[in-house]
Amino acid sequence: MTYDPGPDVIAVQRGPEPGGAGGAYRIFGETLRGLKTTLARVAEGPVTIEYPEEKTPVYPRFRGRHKLQRFEDTGLEKCVGCSLCAAACPADCIRVVAAENTPEHQVSAGERYASVYEINMTRCIFCGYCEVACPFDAITMGHDFELSDYTRSDLIFTKEMLLAEPLERTPLRREGE
Amino acid sequence: MSRPEEKFVSFDIDGREVRAPEGAMLVDGAKYGDVEIPVFCYEPKLGPPVGACRMCLVEIEGIPKLQTACSTPVKDGMVVITKSDRVQSAQNAVVEFLLVNHPLDCPVCDAGGECPLQDVAYGWGPGRSRFIEPKRHFKKPLELSPTVAIDRERCILCYRCVRYSQEIAEDHQLVLLERADHSFVGTHDGAPYVGPFSGNIIDLCPVGALTSVPYRFRARPWDVEEAGTVCTLCPSQCNVTLTVRDDNKVLRAFNRQNDEVDDGWLCDKGRFGYQTIHAADRVVHPMVRDGGTLRAVPWERALSEAVAGLRKAGAGTAALVGGEATNEEGFLLQRLLREVLGSSHVDSRPSGRLEGEHARVLARPDLSARVSDIDYADVVLVLDAEPVDEAAILDLRVRKAARRNGARVVVATSRPSSLDANAEAVVRFAPGASEAALAALGAALTGGAGLDDLARRAGAPAETVRAAASLLGAAESIVVLWGERLSHGARGPQGVAALLALMRSLDITGKEGSGLIEIPSSTNARGLREVGCLPNLGPGLVPTAGEGLAAADMPGAVGEDISALVLLQADPLRTHPDRQAWAAALDRATFVVAFTDFLGEGVLEQADVVFPAPSYAEKEGTITHPDGRLQRLRQSIGLVGEVRPQWGVLAELAAALEDKPVELLSSPMATEQMVAAVPFYAGVTLAEIGGRGVRWQDRDAASSLAAAELPDGALESPPELGDGLRLGTVLSLWTGKVTEHAPVLSFLAPQQRAELSADDARRLDLSPGDVVEVGFDGTRVRAVAALRDAVPPGSVFLVEGTRTDNATALTNGAPRTVEITRVPDAVAKGTSLPLAADAGAADASTSVAGSAEAPPA
Repeated sequence: MTYDPGPDVIAVQRGPEPGGAGGAYRIFGETLRGLKTTLARVAEGPVTIEYPEEKTPVYPRFRGRHKLQRFEDTGLEKCVGCSLCAAACPADCIRVVAAENTPEHQVSAGERYASVYEINMTRCIFCGYCEVACPFDAITMGHDFELSDYTRSDLIFTKEMLLAEPLERTPLRREGE
Repeated sequence: MSRPEEKFVSFDIDGREVRAPEGAMLVDGAKYGDVEIPVFCYEPKLGPPVGACRMCLVEIEGIPKLQTACSTPVKDGMVVITKSDRVQSAQNAVVEFLLVNHPLDCPVCDAGGECPLQDVAYGWGPGRSRFIEPKRHFKKPLELSPTVAIDRERCILCYRCVRYSQEIAEDHQLVLLERADHSFVGTHDGAPYVGPFSGNIIDLCPVGALTSVPYRFRARPWDVEEAGTVCTLCPSQCNVTLTVRDDNKVLRAFNRQNDEVDDGWLCDKGRFGYQTIHAADRVVHPMVRDGGTLRAVPWERALSEAVAGLRKAGAGTAALVGGEATNEEGFLLQRLLREVLGSSHVDSRPSGRLEGEHARVLARPDLSARVSDIDYADVVLVLDAEPVDEAAILDLRVRKAARRNGARVVVATSRPSSLDANAEAVVRFAPGASEAALAALGAALTGGAGLDDLARRAGAPAETVRAAASLLGAAESIVVLWGERLSHGARGPQGVAALLALMRSLDITGKEGSGLIEIPSSTNARGLREVGCLPNLGPGLVPTAGEGLAAADMPGAVGEDISALVLLQADPLRTHPDRQAWAAALDRATFVVAFTDFLGEGVLEQADVVFPAPSYAEKEGTITHPDGRLQRLRQSIGLVGEVRPQWGVLAELAAALEDKPVELLSSPMATEQMVAAVPFYAGVTLAEIGGRGVRWQDRDAASSLAAAELPDGALESPPELGDGLRLGTVLSLWTGKVTEHAPVLSFLAPQQRAELSADDARRLDLSPGDVVEVGFDGTRVRAVAALRDAVPPGSVFLVEGTRTDNATALTNGAPRTVEITRVPDAVAKGTSLPLAADAGAADASTSVAGSAEAPPA
């Protein structure tokens, strides 16, 4: 007795056999249909962004490299070394060691300041929790995302690096762009 | 007062039936039902509650007004509600009021993250404040003392620190000044709050008003980890928690409450002494003497030099073991000497000889009290010891017993004690006459025959002895705190015999909750004795075949029987009597190996090989509390520099001397071997010791101690007192490395002071502050004269172990009379005039850090 596959059998509908009119359509007709879209875009000109010579602008709330802020009038650091950013950090990439301000050595506005402030950029996930946690708006997320380097240790950003005015190398997306 | 029995009552809290001990306050009772009632001012360690903060208000059925749960004891059938609207609105109001003047500076506050006020405000507060008026302002931060900073704006006036100062430390320095919202904590005259226990107020403060100066801004709670261990800076062996950052730095130490050891308090030495661990001049490399100076070398070289030197000396090696060594280290060292080198010259006591029989009797389980027995004793007898200087935390314990439980304190010392004010009877005997004083007390207890003669020999008025004896005789339970000092010196054995005879006449073994607690002269003295660091007794206090020389006899034998010395965290020039003899002995010794963390003068000048010693935060092992409790040291930080574990170095030395491979691979293996060697420790495991320790007397194995009965033979007649000014030397809490190498405590470093009575000062024409020289023949120690009313005429007291002008230059184990001469002002003003007898050594001590070569970078 032969095997009866039952009602599950699906009859395959095959396309035209190679050669003949069907084959010619497949070669030319369908290809031209696809090319229609391509050729239509040629008129628009190229949209490739020639990174790194050219850069995609980022949105204002883009979370890039961190910045530590100073007061504009006094030049004192806003960070008081409270370590709340380190507590909030899910990647555990911030290390803060605080010290006490003295009248001769006034670094921040409060009683204490961060004598060591390090962010390990190889670990950072750019979630922005540190910015949210900061009670003094001392740490903010910048727009720079170009952080690659040749050694891991160079990616541990120190307080001086974070305080320094970062290179403005990332264009900001303009209103409505 | 005997130990109270625990009875349970049941009451209803938030609709739940809960059983709690009778008499417990509602706050504590609620915990049995897993109900938390918020508190600020309540702290059971501070004694009876005061109900100052009103945070703990609860509703109790049958009482119309809300009640404070911290001062209401639980009663059978009580119905308590902690979650009603009334309670909640009261709690909200209290939190709102507390926050009225509390600044919102949590990010810069050291308490932020571990602050009860934060917790309570989040848990029970209204969530918002209606207060918009200006807050009160104080100058901040101020130093309340060099160790404690105060921020009065943060203070919520809970009274904890003031109560502590008034009722626990009893220094009566802290008070609450002014009224109402002008109130602030301070000392009444504005002077710094300095005391041996001042740091406890940091832990007590429920907000960030009192903070530690050395920990200030060092870390936040989430930056650090906590590691529990035991402080080895004094014999109290308080349980501590170390705050560790980055696995390698100790930032803070605070108490880890163990009622059987420390009652939850910690002295400032233990609290701030951790700074020595990271001191810049600590020895962290092995060193060998090379061309006259010590030079840092690799471990292999130091070990091979030590092996060569010890092999040459062989049975001519002697060893001193210091109190910071663990049981394992002491055990391995005595085994190295006895079994590998064939020498029995090992001693952990600074002076005198402890008879084997006496050692075993003193170790008898029924003769030893536990620390918590002090709380419930009828009479606490303090014998020839100053607890606050020698085992600081016991001082608080005695004060607590007297204040809260009505214990009567009897003080029998030669130097006026800080416990005199709490004492009902004081026997003040002449320095060095403790044996006669004990015999006199014994005579007064047994009918008074010969009392007058003995009291005369003790230099104590007979009526004070009688008064003390009548208190002792009537007591139902007696805890005796005796200073190891009375067993020191040439007549040490007679001193111990007199002590044991007194115990026999008190029938102390037959009394419940009674016994002896030794206040030893070094931290782990008891443990080191029990593991065999005595010249006549091996592990388990078992007599050894050959008897070695005791520490006091070693200097004389150097050059003859002894050629090499091993100093295991011991500095004989600092702590041992007869400094000159030791200085000469170290000079004569052909080979000196020292395990040390700081270069003392002896080591600096004389050691041939120096091994860096780990601190208590780096050690792994066990130590034994004076009451027999085995406690565990746990490694809290990584080893600093090139420091290696000391047990490992000792094992390596032993293996190299025997030309065998090292078989001891870990600290638990060392513990196992030590435990196996001491019969009455048998079966103790590290797991059993755990975080709270275990008293070996409470275990079955204790019966394997073959101790004799208390001896009842007649006592020798104590010697007559000499004429003239008698010298007593005392220990100070603040001598040693803690004040020399912990920056925050350096202001406490003691200067040599000659304490004498006003009568003697008048006779010698001295006024306070005069620079004097104390001494006899050619040996003199320079000191500043200090008059003290309570010092009996005829006695003068000097401090042992100071960095310069150490009183041990004048002691040799026997009572000594001295002369005092005033140094003319012109000479006194010249800087540090070296001692006549050991000018070279005094010079060396001033340049300790300078002449050790820095390790190669």
